[in-house]
Amino acid sequence: MAEAESVIFPRAARRSWPPKNPGAGQDSCFLRGKTSCVLDIRLLILNPDPVFSDDTLTHFYAMEQVESRIVRTLSDAIYVLLRENVDLFVVEGETAVAIEQAINARQHFPSLEILCLTSESPNAVSTEQLDQQKIAFVGTDIPANQLRRRLRTILSAFERQTGASSEGIDPCHSLVGNLNQFSAAEVLQMSCLGQRSGRFTFKSRRGNSEIYLHHGMVRHAVFGTLEGEEAVAEIFRWRQGRFYFEEGIISQVQTVSRPWTHLLIDNLQKLDETVDSVGLSAHL
Amino acid sequence: MKDAVLETDLRLLSLQVESWKKLHNFISYALDKSKPLISVMQEGHFTETRSILLQESEHVFEELNIVEEAAGKTMNVLQRATSLRGVRELSAEEARRLEMDWNAVFTKLGVLQGKLKARRKELRSRSAISVSLRRLFARRAAVA
Repeated sequence: MAEAESVIFPRAARRSWPPKNPGAGQDSCFLRGKTSCVLDIRLLILNPDPVFSDDTLTHFYAMEQVESRIVRTLSDAIYVLLRENVDLFVVEGETAVAIEQAINARQHFPSLEILCLTSESPNAVSTEQLDQQKIAFVGTDIPANQLRRRLRTILSAFERQTGASSEGIDPCHSLVGNLNQFSAAEVLQMSCLGQRSGRFTFKSRRGNSEIYLHHGMVRHAVFGTLEGEEAVAEIFRWRQGRFYFEEGIISQVQTVSRPWTHLLIDNLQKLDETVDSVGLSAHL
Repeated sequence: MKDAVLETDLRLLSLQVESWKKLHNFISYALDKSKPLISVMQEGHFTETRSILLQESEHVFEELNIVEEAAGKTMNVLQRATSLRGVRELSAEEARRLEMDWNAVFTKLGVLQGKLKARRKELRSRSAISVSLRRLFARRAAVA
């Protein structure tokens, strides 16, 4: 147990850790040496030199049920993150560079789980920065066995909820669709123009989120711990998953006050900035 | 179960194949006469990919025991393709040779990747105990 406690998590993240499965964590069977309880955790690892600086990669690749993908640059990482669902984004490298890249990634992906593996333990200022950005970190300047245990402890929190989403087509769902065919922006635009009132539920491997409309205005949005415009911004980036709309469900809570058109313009602009930052056209 | 050595080999091989594919994308672009513009950024990305291959190829091939089969042709490609503009100016014969050498290395890497993946699949279907026992008996047989 002492091992689990020694992992440095940001305060805010500690509250919500583990992110998806409250049952897993320090008492999980992973810590007792049974690795089989961890199911297909998808990692995206940003490592600028994966061939010659591969100490932690060796640990990740030795773990059962962990699927890893390596990228060498932040722009490649963002390119992948825009298209695929990953459970954990690992940024590895020289301390200053890794922290900067992790914070940069956080700006583009507010709800992404990020782990920063620094070549040495960060100083107080960096620790505070990472803490504010809800980025977990581990210094890799520790013995290999200890590092391996810490990484396993972290990954044990990411036991994915397997199986397809449980919703079927219900008569009360007046609109059902896939996000890979219609983006969240498109369906929301259509509903807002139609002056609809009700609840949109978006389901993807990242989790479930809800957006409540009231007479064609976004009134409330929630995704995990995010609420209001932050949640809307997150849902805008989803390209995989399902959505459905239930007419007439009104939220008592109001977390969004700006008109839909402003939200749409701002979020599309942010998305453009993210896409520009990876030089997406170069990949296509 | 996972074999650490096999996983490392597969990881190195995947990284090498990925860089090798990127290089091919650049070469194809350079040889495509319908795309007249080569930007400074593209040249930069090409040099970056080339630099990664120059650094890593020999080490990866040594780890995978394919130095003899792949190293020579790899160096041919990397030395001939000095820049995107350089590739564009290659004669038809030189471009053909460049693509043949690229393909020879790519084929070698692809076949090896397939073999290693098959080995991994086989290992995953076995338990850790059976693998350990098999290794132990294989070693005893070799000693005997």
